[in-house]
Amino acid sequence: MSASFAAKRLGKELQKISNSLPPGIELVSAENFDEWLLDIKVLDNNPLYQNETYRLKFRFGPSYPIEPPEVVFVQLPDRPIPMHPHVYSNGIICLDLLGQQGWSPVQNVESVCMSLQSMLTGNSKNERPPGDEDFVRVNRQRPRDIQFYYHDNDV
Amino acid sequence: MAKSTHLKDEGNRRFQAGDYVMAEALYSQALIADANNPALYTNRAMARLRLNQWDSAIADCAACLRLAPDSMKAHYSLSQAHLALRAHDDALRHALRAHALCVKAADKSLGTITAHVLKCKKERWDDLEKRRVRETAELEAEVLELMARERAQAVREQGDDEGGRREVDEEWGAKMARLREVFERARPEAERRREVPDWAIDDISFCVMVDPVITKTGKSYERASIVEHLRRQPQDPLTREPLYASELRPNLDLKQACDEFLQQNGWAADW
Repeated sequence: MSASFAAKRLGKELQKISNSLPPGIELVSAENFDEWLLDIKVLDNNPLYQNETYRLKFRFGPSYPIEPPEVVFVQLPDRPIPMHPHVYSNGIICLDLLGQQGWSPVQNVESVCMSLQSMLTGNSKNERPPGDEDFVRVNRQRPRDIQFYYHDNDV
Repeated sequence: MAKSTHLKDEGNRRFQAGDYVMAEALYSQALIADANNPALYTNRAMARLRLNQWDSAIADCAACLRLAPDSMKAHYSLSQAHLALRAHDDALRHALRAHALCVKAADKSLGTITAHVLKCKKERWDDLEKRRVRETAELEAEVLELMARERAQAVREQGDDEGGRREVDEEWGAKMARLREVFERARPEAERRREVPDWAIDDISFCVMVDPVITKTGKSYERASIVEHLRRQPQDPLTREPLYASELRPNLDLKQACDEFLQQNGWAADW
C-alpha cells in the first residue's frame, strides 16, 4: 500500500474529528499526516485523574490503518504522565489494542482515545508497571518495536 | 529472442531511472527483434503514458490485448490513456476489467487498481455534471429567447392599443422572471445533498466501496482493504476470529447500491 493510502484515510478522519469529538477529547494539532497531538481527560470522579489533562502523541506510518499508529503520553509542564500499571513514566503505553496483534484496521484515532480514556477510568491502582525504573532507564526502542507481554489484559 | 530480452531489461532499467524516452526507444527495438511478446507492448505503453503519448499508448495496449486478451496491465494502461483523453466510459470499462483480473490473480496491485476505478468514476461524474450544468444553462437561455420572441409577437398583436401593449409586456416579463427563478432554485438543490451514507463506506480505507466483500460475521469491506489486512493478520477486524481471504464473499447487492450511489453522487468518490 502506498503512503497516500494512509494520507487519504487520515484526511477523512481529520475531517470527521474536526467537526465533532466525544467529550473529554480534544484535537491539539494535526499539521501533517505523520504526527497528531490530542488531549484527553478522564470524565468521571476517579481521584487519580481528576482535574488533569493528558497529552497524547500519535505517529502514523505509511501503512496506517493496516498497521497500528504509535501512541504515547507526552510530558509537559501542565500535562503529566497518568499513573497507571500499564503506563511507563516516560509515556510509553502497554495496551493490547496498540500492539501488532491487538490492533484492527477498523480502529481509528477517536476510538483509540476513547479506549485510553476508559483504560484510565477503570483503574484504581496508583502505580507504575513493574520494573518501570529499569525500563525507562534502559529502553531506547520505539514503542512499536517493543515486545510487550500482556500479562493482565483486564486492567 | 535473447537480444530482445536484453533490450527489454535495459529498457526496464531506464524506466526505473525515470528516463522514459530512452526506455520507450529500447522497448521499440526489442519489439523489432520479437514482435510477439505481449509484455513488451505493455511496457512500452507504460513508458508512453509517462510521456503523455496517449494515442500510441492505446495502440500498444490494443496490440498486447490481441496477443493476450487477459493482460491486467494492458487494461490498466488503456484505462489510464482513455482517462487522460477524457473518454470516461472506456476508461471505466477497462478499469473494471483490470480490477476483475487483479482479483482473479490475487495480484498485489489491487489497492492501486481500486483507487483507479474510483478515480474513473469520479471524473466521469464530474464530466457528466459539468455537461448537465451547461445543458441546463443552455436550455434556460433557449427557453427565455423563445419567450422573448413570443412576447414581441404578442405585443405587436395589440396594435396601437398602448395600454394593452404595456399589459401584455408586463405579463410576459413576469412569466420570464418566474422561469428564471425556477431554474435558479433547481441549481443549489443539486449541490445540497453532500453526505455519504455509512453503509457505502469501507471502514478501513474510509472510501466508498467499489468491490465490497462480506465476512462470516456479516460485515462488508472493500476487497483491496480487507485482503491487505488479512495478508498480515488472518483475523476478522471486528471479532478477531480467524478469517482467510478465501472465506470472503462478494456482496453483490451492496456493490450495486454503491454503484448507484456513486452514479448520482460522483463527488463522493473522494469526499
